[in-house]
Amino acid sequence: MASQEGSMLKFAPFQSAVDEGFWHRLSSLKLNKLGIDDSPLPITGFYAPCSHSQVSNHLTLLAESLPSESGGESSAAQGNRNRCSVPDLSINSLLIGGDQIWEDIHSGKAVEDSSVLSRFLLISFADLKKWTFHYWFAFPALVLDPPATLVDLRPASQWFSLEEAESVSAACNAWRNSSSTVDVPFFLIDIDPNSRATIRHLKDWETCRGDNHKLLFGFYDPCHLPNNPGWPLRNFLALISSRWDLTSVQFLCYRENRGFADMGSSLVGEAVIAVPQGWKDHHCVPNAVGWELNRGKKVPRCISLAKSMDPTRLAISAA
Amino acid sequence: MVLSQKIHEAFKGTVERITGPRTVSAFKEKGVLSVSEFIIAGDNLVSKCPTWSWESGEPSKRKPYLPSEKQYLITRNVPCLRRAASVEEEYEAAGGEVLLDNEDNDGWLATHGKPNEGKSAEEENLPSMENLEISKNSSIKLTPSYFGGEDEEDIPDMADFEEADNLIETDPAEEVCDNADTTFARYLHVATLQSTYLVAQEPDDDNILRTRTYDVSITYDKYYQTPRVWLTGYDESRMLLQPELVLEDVSQDHARKTVTIEDHPHLPGKHASVHPCRHGAVMKKIIDVLMSRGVEPEVDKYLFLFLKFVASVIPTIEYDYTMDFDLGSSSH
Repeated sequence: MASQEGSMLKFAPFQSAVDEGFWHRLSSLKLNKLGIDDSPLPITGFYAPCSHSQVSNHLTLLAESLPSESGGESSAAQGNRNRCSVPDLSINSLLIGGDQIWEDIHSGKAVEDSSVLSRFLLISFADLKKWTFHYWFAFPALVLDPPATLVDLRPASQWFSLEEAESVSAACNAWRNSSSTVDVPFFLIDIDPNSRATIRHLKDWETCRGDNHKLLFGFYDPCHLPNNPGWPLRNFLALISSRWDLTSVQFLCYRENRGFADMGSSLVGEAVIAVPQGWKDHHCVPNAVGWELNRGKKVPRCISLAKSMDPTRLAISAA
Repeated sequence: MVLSQKIHEAFKGTVERITGPRTVSAFKEKGVLSVSEFIIAGDNLVSKCPTWSWESGEPSKRKPYLPSEKQYLITRNVPCLRRAASVEEEYEAAGGEVLLDNEDNDGWLATHGKPNEGKSAEEENLPSMENLEISKNSSIKLTPSYFGGEDEEDIPDMADFEEADNLIETDPAEEVCDNADTTFARYLHVATLQSTYLVAQEPDDDNILRTRTYDVSITYDKYYQTPRVWLTGYDESRMLLQPELVLEDVSQDHARKTVTIEDHPHLPGKHASVHPCRHGAVMKKIIDVLMSRGVEPEVDKYLFLFLKFVASVIPTIEYDYTMDFDLGSSSH
C-alpha cells in the first residue's frame, strides 16, 4: 500500500447497533418505573476492536446497557473482551457533546479513564402505543482546525520489523487477555531498541518518553477499512495534541482477526497536527461533529417492534 | 407457528420442568451433552475462539441449572456476504445434483443442474448484496428490514424528518423538527451539537462494503440435551432483520424444516433456530467417524465439531470455529 503523502486524515464514522433487548428493557423501564419522567438515563455502550476483515464493529447497546428496574447496578460482566464499555454523555447539564469531552481532556480524567474519549449520545422517543422507537446517535468528535495531515499509513506488519511485530502482537494479546486491561481502549506501545514491546497506560506517558524508544499511541479500532482509521482516533488526537503538545503522532489502529491481534489488518500511521489556536485556553471549546447518518442523510432512525411487543399480534401468532 | 409444533413445545416444556438436567455423560454413546459438559465445551470455545463469549441474558429468563454468568454463548456482528441460495445456484449452474422436489425429502435428484433461470453470470458477479435476489423461493419477499413492515402507515415517513436536516445546518439549536410534536423533538432542541457534520474528514462511502451481519448464539437445550443455535440477523444498515428473511441465509434444504422461528430462551423476540431434534444423532455419527479413525473425541471439543456441522446449515455466515479436525466427507 502506498503511503499517502501529506493528505488529510479521514476517519471512518462510528456506527451504532441496538439490540432488540435494549428496546424491550427501555419499554418496561418507561412503563414500570420512569413514567413521564424524561430526564436523561445513564447508559453504557459496548464496542470491541474490529475482528473480521470485512465488517467494522459497532457501538452496541444491549439490555444490560440500561440500569435495571430494581435500581441495582447493571449486571454487565466486567472483563468481557467483546464488550469494552463506553459511558454515555449526560445531557441534562449545559455541557453537551464536545464540551464534556473537552472538559475531561483538560481535567486529566481522559488520561485516567480513557473510555470517556468515546462518549456517545442517544436521543430516543419510545412510542409505546405503537411499539415504535425513534432514535438518533451522536459520536461527538472534537474538530482539529486545521485538520490533521497523514504522512504515512501502512499495515502494521509492514511498518514494524518482524521481531517488533511479533512482540507487539504478543503484548497486545496479553493486554486483551488480562481482565484489568481488556476494556482500556486507549494505550501506549513502547518498543525498546531490542524490539521488545510493552503496553502501558496513557498516564505513564511522561515516564516512557525518550531513551531511543519507539512510542506509539494505540487504540481499539472498530473500523475494518485498510486506508482509514476509525472514529475513536479523533478525540485521541485531540487529547494528544492538547495535553502533550505533540505535533507529530505515530498511532496504531489495533485490529484483530478471529479475536487475536492481527498485524496485517492493524494499521500504523503518522499524523501531523498543528495545535489549533486557542486550544491552550480551556474556555475556548472546539467544535464537535458526529451525528450518525441514516442511509447518508441526517435523519433519525426508527424501528417498529410491534411484531414482538403488540399483545394482539402475539396472541394471533401464538394461536 | 404450526399447531403440531405448538403442542410439541408444550410437551417439551413440561418434560423439561419435571425432569432433572442430565448429569451422567453420554457424549460418546448418544452424542448428547450434560450441563457441566456444555460449560466445559463452552469455556474451551471462548478461550480458543475469543470472538465468542458467555452471556447472562435476561435475568427473568435465567435457567437455574446453568451458572448465572454462563447462560448462553454468543458471537456478534458476524458477516454474511451472500445469501445461501446464491451458493446453491452456483453449485447448480456448475452441474451439481439438484433435489427436484423441495417439498418432499424423498424427491428425485437431477444430475445435470438446473438451467440458469434467466440470470446472467455477469449479474451474479456484482458485489452489491442488493442484487442478489432469491429466484427460487418466491414466497419470501425482499423487504430489507422492519422499516418495510406490514403497517407502513403506522410508521412515520422518514422524509418528514428531512426538513429538520436543513435547519440543523443553518441554525443548530433552534426550531428543529417543528413538524413532530413529541418529546423527541424537545430532546433535539436540547441536544443538538454545535456544529455541522464534516463530511470532508470521512472516507468515501463507496469503499464501505454493505453486508448483512448476524449475532449467532448457542443455548443449551435441556430436553434434547444438546446445544442449540440461534440466529439474529441485521440488514446492510444494521437494522433488525425479520426472522423470515433470515431463512434466505439458511441452506434451502433446511429452511422451514430444520430451521424454525421460535422464542429465544434468553432474549426477547422471535429468532431463527436450527431445531435440535437431530443434533444428538448427527453428533453421534461425527463422533463415530472420528473414533473409527482412531481419534478419541474429547468432550471439550464438542462445540467445535458441532459448529462445523452447523456450518452446513448456514454456509455463508462466517462465524469462528477455527480448529482443524479431519472429518472427511461423511460429516453428515
